[in-house]
Amino acid sequence: MGEGYFKQRNGLIAVDIMAACGVMTPEQWAGLGQAARENNVFRLKMTARQTVVVLLPEENVEKLVAALEPLGLKVAPFGKVVRPVKACPGNQDLCPRAIADALGLGIAIQEKCVGQEVPKDFKIAVAGCPRGCTEPQCADFGARASGQNRFDVFIGGRGSTVKPVHGVPLARKVTAGQVMQLLDFVLERYRNLAQPHERLCQTLARVGENQFQPPAELLAAPEEEASEFARFLQGGGGGN
Amino acid sequence: MAVKVEEINLAALETQLDRICQGCDLYNSPGCNPSQCLVGFARKVLSFAAQKKLLDIPGASRLLPAQDFKPYYPEQVAGAIAETCRQCRQCRDNHSPDCVIALVRSALESALLQETIDYPGSVFLYLARIKEQHPQLAALLARELQKGRT
Repeated sequence: MGEGYFKQRNGLIAVDIMAACGVMTPEQWAGLGQAARENNVFRLKMTARQTVVVLLPEENVEKLVAALEPLGLKVAPFGKVVRPVKACPGNQDLCPRAIADALGLGIAIQEKCVGQEVPKDFKIAVAGCPRGCTEPQCADFGARASGQNRFDVFIGGRGSTVKPVHGVPLARKVTAGQVMQLLDFVLERYRNLAQPHERLCQTLARVGENQFQPPAELLAAPEEEASEFARFLQGGGGGN
Repeated sequence: MAVKVEEINLAALETQLDRICQGCDLYNSPGCNPSQCLVGFARKVLSFAAQKKLLDIPGASRLLPAQDFKPYYPEQVAGAIAETCRQCRQCRDNHSPDCVIALVRSALESALLQETIDYPGSVFLYLARIKEQHPQLAALLARELQKGRT
């Protein structure tokens, strides 16, 4: 598995550092700042994937990286792996527009899947409302909240390059638990079906979406509230 | 998630629905069947939401008893629709047809119009849409909402 170290034109090394979908505690920020000061860091840059790139001289890299672990931070994986997850701050405490816990789901996905090897880079985005600030339809695997603990899932998006692609719907109104299962399913199918270095959107175009059709149990819309309400509706205690 | 059911005045909606029931010929009679009645459905929604502390009941919009052909009148129903407008949190893109307030409004629209109006997640846009499609109801709603201000 590759890691996020990149030699820059000016000779500095860029180290890509990941946290819990971009969320850090004050202690982590301050600790990273302190480590940056002590290691002659030139600049810190927030990235589109909610990581922080630190630019520093090569001789300081080892010491900076050693300071990350006690802070609960890591060097992000790079290359043909599942990349750090991009999630919006959608949850009960943060974004007022959130309708489901996108941040919690994003962190759970990242903890489970980041760094897993795949045929080509695999990007995941989670959004807590239909506005989709993290652009889940532009990710290889995107989950967008569609109700309380309900998500719509898209696969095969690609936001960058000269040929951006929107993901196709894979499932509607599934729970966070089902999103995790669907992700496992998609990763497995992708590993089995993709040619070397083939991005998921290209695999989908080549083999067809049907090859990624999940088993029914992963798609079954959980309608326990509706069923319970249907029973309640038919039951006693009328409107009067 | 942003809006909790406790923030919605379910009692105000219930009061309006109770008024409609009191004007119904079947009120307190053996013929009253809430599961087959649009207003009964709306009251069940409120009761279920209060018990379960749910603002959204996934799939409930599909259970609307569309076969309720009892006569309802705009004057009778406009007050309750206006109350749904007062309680609406204007979620715009986040609007869900299974939201408790939306379920009550849809039931009332069906009672009156035999159709539901595609709700835009905004009271202002909703009223503009009603005005376009049903000017008489729009005038009644405007009057009812004006009452709420005084």
